[in-house]
Amino acid sequence: MTTFSVRTLSAVLATAAMSLCCSAPALADDVPSNSARIGLYSVFFHVKADDLSGPYVPPGANIDAQNVNTLYLGYVRRLSSHFDVELAIGYPPLQKTEGKGPAALGSVPYNGQVIATARWLAPTVLFEYKFFDENSKLRPYIGAGVNYTAFYDRNSTAQGNAVSGGPTKLSLTSSVGPAGTAGLAYNLRGHWNLYASYSISQVKTKLNADTAGVIRTTHISFGPQVFIASVGYSF
Amino acid sequence: MFKLLTPLSVALGAALLCACGSSSQTSAVSPSTAHGTLAVNPPFRIASLNAATFQAELGATSTGAQLLKIAGTPACGVDFYYVKFWTVGGAGEATESSGALMVPTGAVPTCSGPRPIVLYAHGTNTDKTLNIADITIASNTEGVLIAAMFAAQGYIVVAPNYAGYDISTLGYHPFLNAEQQSGEMIDILAAARTALPKTLSAATSDSGKLFITGYSEGGHVAMATQRALEASGAVITGAAPMSGPYALEAFGDAIFFGSVNLGSTVFSPLLSTSYQKTYGNIYATPGDLYSATYVSGIETLLPSATPLNTLFANGLLPQTAEFDSTTPIVTVPNDPALSLQLTALLSVPGSPNYPIPSTPLTPLFAAGFGSPYLINNSYRVSYALDAASNPDGANPLAPRAGAPLAATPPTQPLRLAFYKNDLRNGGWAPNSPTLLCGGLADPTVLFPVNTGIMKTFWSPLVQAGLITVLDVNDTPAGPFAALQTGFRTSLAMQLTAYEAGGLSPAAAQQLVLEGYHGSVAPFCTAAARAFFSQL
Repeated sequence: MTTFSVRTLSAVLATAAMSLCCSAPALADDVPSNSARIGLYSVFFHVKADDLSGPYVPPGANIDAQNVNTLYLGYVRRLSSHFDVELAIGYPPLQKTEGKGPAALGSVPYNGQVIATARWLAPTVLFEYKFFDENSKLRPYIGAGVNYTAFYDRNSTAQGNAVSGGPTKLSLTSSVGPAGTAGLAYNLRGHWNLYASYSISQVKTKLNADTAGVIRTTHISFGPQVFIASVGYSF
Repeated sequence: MFKLLTPLSVALGAALLCACGSSSQTSAVSPSTAHGTLAVNPPFRIASLNAATFQAELGATSTGAQLLKIAGTPACGVDFYYVKFWTVGGAGEATESSGALMVPTGAVPTCSGPRPIVLYAHGTNTDKTLNIADITIASNTEGVLIAAMFAAQGYIVVAPNYAGYDISTLGYHPFLNAEQQSGEMIDILAAARTALPKTLSAATSDSGKLFITGYSEGGHVAMATQRALEASGAVITGAAPMSGPYALEAFGDAIFFGSVNLGSTVFSPLLSTSYQKTYGNIYATPGDLYSATYVSGIETLLPSATPLNTLFANGLLPQTAEFDSTTPIVTVPNDPALSLQLTALLSVPGSPNYPIPSTPLTPLFAAGFGSPYLINNSYRVSYALDAASNPDGANPLAPRAGAPLAATPPTQPLRLAFYKNDLRNGGWAPNSPTLLCGGLADPTVLFPVNTGIMKTFWSPLVQAGLITVLDVNDTPAGPFAALQTGFRTSLAMQLTAYEAGGLSPAAAQQLVLEGYHGSVAPFCTAAARAFFSQL
């Protein structure tokens, strides 16, 4: 997040949008320029968060995020025989956050309880280098780019309200961070390909929980590791 | 190409639209600042303890374990809510205040459903940050006491922190201001009744039964609240003011004439500032009342976020020297006999000229004199002259039947403030069952001068049996015998422990006496609960 300003992101997204929207000159060798992909988007979090701070919070109260699966949607624009740009998103899943730390706060169960839910939208733009030539059946690739994550539909659950002390309003700052990927493309037949990839990105946010004016905060690094299995059509 | 892109665009668009979706909200802040308004609804729950956890937490400390013996095993869990509400200060200033709503919870039938409310007023506390709802703070012993005694036994507890404490922006505390403090009690009661159905403990509701109690300062507040609510036509199921300075005029006279109670150097700045802010005439400048040694900053000294012992150590208040050990010579024009009498009454208790016979408390009263001292002799003399010319009906040197107030309003402004806030004022007597509980030897709030006078004053005014007076220090007898035995045992155990720690019997006795006022509290509170349980 420190190395990517919002302005940088805007430029990257604009570039990607131009790639999406504007027709490129026809390629001489007639290789399709576009690919649309759909598949499984599995997210495994490796959360590192500060203990919650604020009034009436016992030491060691922390949070964790449950792993989640959702629909992967991707659009890839061929730049050259070895370079692609990919816009990847997961259909915004219902993300569950659970308490981690003391078994109970007072007498209210905490550790392992789902205390909040939110949806996130996390488009990632990746510039990818593909190995081997374009006629290869199997093409490994690596890529690097930027991830933007926004959180919405943030809700404290009934259990979350119970541990927080009442109805709680949550806010989470949006995140911009670097992303990297490594994957394999396998040509099934003609325009159809199978893909498998493993990606990591940096997603950091500041959580602010307001319960009747009592504010608790923490900084969360989600450390998502994403496995994508997809099928794509080139055109 | 554009046709094929459409599904992705739709999906992206749909996702982005979702970003406008609603998120959960927190409590609403009331736009009204009218007194009695709940400022934040629903209120914040600081903690939720089930009966077993509460018992375990109490049992983890020695004082908690002792409290468990007196209060009994918790039958209910307790939810502790931090209530913010609007009230008014001593001069009608709007101010936000705060306090506790403790709600019994649990599956036991007496822990949920319609439950009675105990409206509780806490004792003098010098800690400006006091939040009686915050059960997580070890120093909140009074919060623990009322939670264990009442809430864990099925009573909903409502207790203000008082204006001038915690979040209140009032720059002083309206200490022993009967109108303000009773008004604040009624305001938090209204706010708590608004809050209760909205809390996380809404399975517990107000049964309509209302009990009022409080300790020390809170004893005065409880009685003033009982008076105000009765005057408004509200039905009070029962009241139990405890160890309170109810007969303020008589108490003030006793102190100014030498019965200097333990803690007087702390009570004095709280009292003078409270009455100065409300009546504006206690002094022209604080130096009229306070000695040059302590006058600087005295109006804003208490309550304070600084511990009391630090204030003593920093020389901002004397520990005990309320009055000048040099006796003022009183000269009443054309009345040499009165001059001599007043001069003698203003001498140090126990000294040859002091006319009141010695009691076990005399050495403690004498410790209220020294140098440097807090109160100027000139102010003390002006008070004494007023008291002599217009005596309180309970003055042992000029007693009148029924122990009434002074025949006419005093002219000395501090004594007039005491007169106004003395709970004999207006000739009120309770019309709801009332327990007055205290300890006879209490050196902090003198029992005979306060509880004793109210008993005498009310005696001809109320129906037989309506008022019960309990001295927990008395020979065990009657329905409260077990508590009286417990109290006496507690004092004996303290004495033994101090002596075992190497103190001389006299020094040990002195420490027991210094802790006496606090020692009475759990036993009287248990008596109050026993009294309420019969109503």
